[in-house]
Amino acid sequence: MTASAPRRPPLRPALGRSLSGPLRPVVSLGFVLAIWSAVSLAGLVNEALFPAPWTVVSAFIEMARQGVLWEDLRVSLGRAAIGFFIGAGLGVAAGLATGRTQLFRMLLGPFLSLMRPIPAIALVPVAIVWFGIGEESKYFVIAYTVFLTVWFNTHHGMEYVPEIYIRASRSLGASRLREFLVVVIPAAAPHIAAGIRLGVALALLSLVAAELTGASSGIGYRLQEARQYVRTDRMFALLIVLGAAGALVDQAVHRICRRLVHWEQA
Amino acid sequence: MMAHAADTRGRVEFRAVEIAFDGRRGPTPAVTRTTLTLEPGTFTAIIGPSGCGKSTLLNAAAGFIAPAHGEILVDGAPVRGPDPEIGVIFQQYALFPWLTALGNVDFALRRFGFSRAERRQKAMAALAEVGLRGQEKKFPGQLSGGMKQRVAIARTFAGRPKALLMDEPFGALDAQTRGSMHDLLSGVWRAHLATVLFITHDVDEALVLADRIHVMSSGPGRIVESFELSAARPRSAARFDAAQLAMRARILDLLRPAAEPAA
Repeated sequence: MTASAPRRPPLRPALGRSLSGPLRPVVSLGFVLAIWSAVSLAGLVNEALFPAPWTVVSAFIEMARQGVLWEDLRVSLGRAAIGFFIGAGLGVAAGLATGRTQLFRMLLGPFLSLMRPIPAIALVPVAIVWFGIGEESKYFVIAYTVFLTVWFNTHHGMEYVPEIYIRASRSLGASRLREFLVVVIPAAAPHIAAGIRLGVALALLSLVAAELTGASSGIGYRLQEARQYVRTDRMFALLIVLGAAGALVDQAVHRICRRLVHWEQA
Repeated sequence: MMAHAADTRGRVEFRAVEIAFDGRRGPTPAVTRTTLTLEPGTFTAIIGPSGCGKSTLLNAAAGFIAPAHGEILVDGAPVRGPDPEIGVIFQQYALFPWLTALGNVDFALRRFGFSRAERRQKAMAALAEVGLRGQEKKFPGQLSGGMKQRVAIARTFAGRPKALLMDEPFGALDAQTRGSMHDLLSGVWRAHLATVLFITHDVDEALVLADRIHVMSSGPGRIVESFELSAARPRSAARFDAAQLAMRARILDLLRPAAEPAA
């Protein structure tokens, strides 16, 4: 942009500000870890129910050595990816079709609002009846959740393409197809990208619910197994792995989206 | 209205045009019956207070809104919707931020069926004409307001419109940038010979650019007085002649709200 006004110091406490960007997560995690360790060392909690950090680390190493952890992660992320691509693909396609059509807007708007609050886990019984306990039921649960969000965001983005772009495009003699491809879709792209990013997060969030449809591998399955053996240390390790994987994937998607809609930051 | 036989490319006629908006209690007139002819190749400015319907009139000529009564003709053909023969330059530039400066100009060239190489060469030339050589690969977000409007001018002229509608195009720019944009626009306009309708609320801008100035008043919007300028070009707001100065005083009087008499 053009020359900006001199930066005023932000009205935040100095302690939080003095930390530079890449260090922040380290500091944040270190802080939580310190409290967790202190609580465990002080013997404030039952170690069997709330394991100490080091117990969790050894459970993590144990699972990693056995090889189950990586296999489970691979299977789970694979499911999330397949479910995501099905859901996001259909969601973008549906949004592109419905966002610019008055009839679709009228027919589907209220329906969408009704569907969105249904959590993935509520679909598990339906998925089992429809698809059995094979991989398809997992894809279904994930794809459905992703689909709704991506559809909603795409639809919304298409609906609110600034009128001035349409006017400019038509005044410049663009055909309706060109207008759609070169003007409407890019104009909606920031919304679509936001929907995709939410979709990725939801794919990972609904993964564990999806694996409740009778899985024999995957992080969700391993969590269930740990419950049967009351291995809270394993549960914690698995939850942390799930969280870390989710955060990494989210960051990667965020970066890709930011590149794709590079003009938005300007 | 006299008919000029020589060059009829870009004659814009407003015939008893009335524009209404749907208000809470039925349609409210935004512009009352207005008849106006823009001769081919002339530069007409419409000046008026905000809310007088001057932009509404332009939007009707651009085909963005339909008049409630009357019609607008460009070279005898009624305006039925946005048309590449009628170029529009917006105050907010309306550049596509996902396309480079070159891509934006290229967008306007698509309608001619040029080859890729021809389009590229023409788009480069159009940007060079508005003083943006070397900026072709930049995205609108990387350009200043004045540069963005230059791209928009290049884009619109690249589509070779017969008539050019400009809706307060320099309203968002600082005074200095606006001055250089006036020189640029005068030059490009003379090179391309389009009929221009220019909406502004800046008297000096109108006096520098236009052949004819119409002053509008609000409630409901209508033209209250018209002026013809014959001052030689290029003009400058710093060196108005006596006729321009008299016009300036008269227009400023007209623009002064009637409710509060001059002290």
